[in-house]
Amino acid sequence: MADSNDRVRAAHRILAGAAILALSLSIAGAAPAAEPIKIGVIGEESSVAGASITKAAQMAQDDINAHGGVLGRQIQVVIYDDHSSAADAVRAFQRAVSEDKVSAVVASYISEVALAIEPWAARLHTPWITPGAASTDISKAVHENYATNKYTFHGWLTSAFIAQSICDFEHDMLVTSSYKVKSTVVMSEDAAWTKPLDERFLECLPKAGVKVLDHIRFNPDTTDFTPIFNKIEGEHPDVITTGISHVGVQPTVQWHDQRVPVAMVGQSSQATTSTFWKDTNGAAEGVITASAAAPDVALTPTTIAFTNAYEKRFGSSPSYDGYTTYDEIHIIANAIKAAGGTDPDKMVDAMEKTHYTGTVGTIEFYGKDDLYTHAIKYGPGLVTGVVLQWQSGKQVTVWPRDKANGKIGFPATITSVK
Amino acid sequence: MTTLQILVDGFAISSLYALAAVGFTLIFGVSGVLNLAHGGIMLVAALVGWWVAGSTPLGTYGGTLVGILAGLLTAYLTYFLVVRPIQRSTAIAQEEKEIFVLTGTLLWGIMIQTGMAFVFSDNPVTMRPLIRGVVDVFGVRTPRNEVMIAVLCWVVIGLLWLLINRTRAGKQMLAASINPRGLTLLGFDLSQIYFRVWTIYGVLAGLAGVLLASFLGVGTANAGQLTASAFSIVVLGGLGSVSGSLIAAYVVGYLETITAYLIAPTLRPIPALILLVLVVYLRPQGLLGRR
Amino acid sequence: MTRAFNRRLLIAGAIFVLVATVLPLWLSAYVLGVLTTAYYFGVFSMSWDLLFGFAGEVNFGPTFLIGLGAYTAALLDNAYHPPVVVCIAVGALAALVGGVLLALPALRLRGPYFGLVTLVAVLLLQNAIVIFARFTGGEIGMTVPDVMTIDPKLNYWYALAFFVVSAILLYGLSRSAVGLILQASGQDAVEAQALGFNVTKHKLAAFSVSALFSGVAGAMLVFYMGAASVGTIIDIGIGVQIIIGAVLGGRRTILGPAVGAIFLVVAAEVLRPLGQLNTFIVAGVALAVILFFPDGLLGHVLRPRENA
Repeated sequence: MADSNDRVRAAHRILAGAAILALSLSIAGAAPAAEPIKIGVIGEESSVAGASITKAAQMAQDDINAHGGVLGRQIQVVIYDDHSSAADAVRAFQRAVSEDKVSAVVASYISEVALAIEPWAARLHTPWITPGAASTDISKAVHENYATNKYTFHGWLTSAFIAQSICDFEHDMLVTSSYKVKSTVVMSEDAAWTKPLDERFLECLPKAGVKVLDHIRFNPDTTDFTPIFNKIEGEHPDVITTGISHVGVQPTVQWHDQRVPVAMVGQSSQATTSTFWKDTNGAAEGVITASAAAPDVALTPTTIAFTNAYEKRFGSSPSYDGYTTYDEIHIIANAIKAAGGTDPDKMVDAMEKTHYTGTVGTIEFYGKDDLYTHAIKYGPGLVTGVVLQWQSGKQVTVWPRDKANGKIGFPATITSVK
Repeated sequence: MTTLQILVDGFAISSLYALAAVGFTLIFGVSGVLNLAHGGIMLVAALVGWWVAGSTPLGTYGGTLVGILAGLLTAYLTYFLVVRPIQRSTAIAQEEKEIFVLTGTLLWGIMIQTGMAFVFSDNPVTMRPLIRGVVDVFGVRTPRNEVMIAVLCWVVIGLLWLLINRTRAGKQMLAASINPRGLTLLGFDLSQIYFRVWTIYGVLAGLAGVLLASFLGVGTANAGQLTASAFSIVVLGGLGSVSGSLIAAYVVGYLETITAYLIAPTLRPIPALILLVLVVYLRPQGLLGRR
Repeated sequence: MTRAFNRRLLIAGAIFVLVATVLPLWLSAYVLGVLTTAYYFGVFSMSWDLLFGFAGEVNFGPTFLIGLGAYTAALLDNAYHPPVVVCIAVGALAALVGGVLLALPALRLRGPYFGLVTLVAVLLLQNAIVIFARFTGGEIGMTVPDVMTIDPKLNYWYALAFFVVSAILLYGLSRSAVGLILQASGQDAVEAQALGFNVTKHKLAAFSVSALFSGVAGAMLVFYMGAASVGTIIDIGIGVQIIIGAVLGGRRTILGPAVGAIFLVVAAEVLRPLGQLNTFIVAGVALAVILFFPDGLLGHVLRPRENA
């Protein structure tokens, strides 16, 4: 007798709970739109690069609001963490647009995430920009299907241009200089962004005067790089040209501890952060990487001020995507101003006409007829990024020549270049 | 030249695998627990060790010690917060205790991983090597740290063997792994034995975590992989058999190294997985398994 | 089982279906999306419970079966563009075949070894997909050209219908004679065998049913999301979510795991504003439930009394 009463009570409790759940969900769904203009920002809080996105966005929000906001309204940045997962990012994007009613989104530095968001921006008609992903597919998709994908903007150099900048660097500073570099092995992680990167490497390195002896791709969750380094050493290249982002600390430390005598040059995203020296206990000495900006280098009149303000507020220097995020929140705000409101199609038109000098350079986007529609234009006077080298705990900029504040120097263990 | 390289590289990584696996199998053998938070314990040791070494005046050696202690503490937390309450729970049927412990340790492992990522970010970290420099081993240029790690692993495993086979406490543990009820009947306090095993396990896992951090580097994303690899090695060697795990660690370590060198770095984990499948189907108790 | 209990269960079920069916009239696309995914996970957890709760076999790799169904359907669609229903059917068949191939030798193993085999199966599938990335898209994943529908309401109703039908079938199975035999085999295989039941045959049947439902649900999930990737379908983390959902809801009840799975998916979304720590909190809550309420949310309510 008592048992069945217990069960009835429990069943009623469950029903009540379910009803409450349904009710709260519907209340959440019916939340009224608020006064400020909202911009969704999706980052990866556990990753150093991903956390920089949300921090820089907050700084941009405060700066814009301090100057009066946009069209008399304040900007409000709504932050989401996608846990480095494409599925989570898509959910966050959907929530941002449907529930939190954002007018635009800034999302992620991971190409897989950006590619997953792209079709949803098309479905939900929401302009968005990625401040750090690199895959060329992001902008190629806009070119191939402009009407559907025009809401997508690629706010960092595509892999093709990252590779080009490294080829240009190697040509200017390693081939034609006293180092007389002639050969390399390309070593990159197997990920979406490195496919076009490597393609361009294999094409532009020989043109720059560097012969490609071998091309090694490894699993992004590799932890033991010894066999890879041993193989590369056996081929006697002058430098290793890297394309790594998912890994960085581990290969660098092992490269150092094993005294691999070949210099590492290329794109190593983790090496662009200021904490890299500490994370590797100084093994980063001599590592060269491309980046968006570097300390103490005035790419534009606002670069150094931003870096200092960021450091003061958050305790470390921004990652490469912190610079781009800061600029791109401003670009979105300006687009809303030019469009006179938050109508998505008008915003897209306004963003296409962007000519904005931010912290990484002067940002313009490629147009409908260019292969990489809506990607950042690469070139002197626009955005080239910098190439920096870790020397004695500091990031020294070594390229382009007119921005360099130091000379290249390799530790004694490197015997491949002298 | 490649053969020698394979021999030397394989030896170091296998020794580290062995250290990590031995603790895992010990816990299963003596207390019947498949601890899926294993990788998490190693992770805590590595991260804390790195932080102390870099941010306090204690330096690398101090950091290593504190890291091991942190691993030990996490092992205790795992036992007292998760494993023991489930084992003693009257609300769970006896046959189901195993799956509950598994699920519980799995959840606890996830909590550790996400908690550590929150505090330290998911960037991998490395401990400064305890000994710097390289040395020539059979013509292969090897970091001194790697040699030291291999030596240290063997010393510790040797000490463990002595402990289990030559001391009274060790023999009690051995007995507990064969017949816990018999032991209780004879008047021994099982909980004290379990406490000792978890202590040893905590030190082993902590040490393995800190050494791994100085050899290869460790990040929060690796935690699951660490558990999975210890798991596979222990199954290959035989759940509960320490010597089995040792042998299996070397088999797996060398299989992986050979694959990475001679076939392709991307295919590294495959042969070990295939071997695992074969073993589970053809000889499920593993090489030297007892239970 | 008392008739009164059955009647109350029927009424509760009917109310749920009624409420759930009309929800799309005022909920946003985002919330409907969360619930749609939740219903699929509900089916995953129910299938898992049939195997664990009743056959007593712990399956650590439910995503092996789900993944087989999902990827087969996706690959077929990309290659030959047959109608979506055909793809789903073929996917289910693949999951069934894979499940049987896995179960036949695995059921001979005792204790934790069965679970280990299932875990290894997932790892192998994961690695196979990454290695054959040319066809499967590897870690990035692959898209399917056809989706069931773009309309979030329709997707929701498809998922709800599938969920309700699966719940009725699986629950019915668990209460039937076959279900009782399964339960007996799960709790005491020796005795069941002594009573003359072919334990292995019944466990194989349970495995097959579990595989079938998992395969269909996996394929439908792919055609809902329009994409399949290791991270969304196969990852061990997904399997963990399914198992936790089942234990949370109350194992051996079929309906408990359904509720548990839905709860987990919804809770994770509700906690999204917490940012980084939402996984930590969900795991913590689940751990607390396991420690303090091992019968799960509904185990107490729905568990058949031993002395009924």
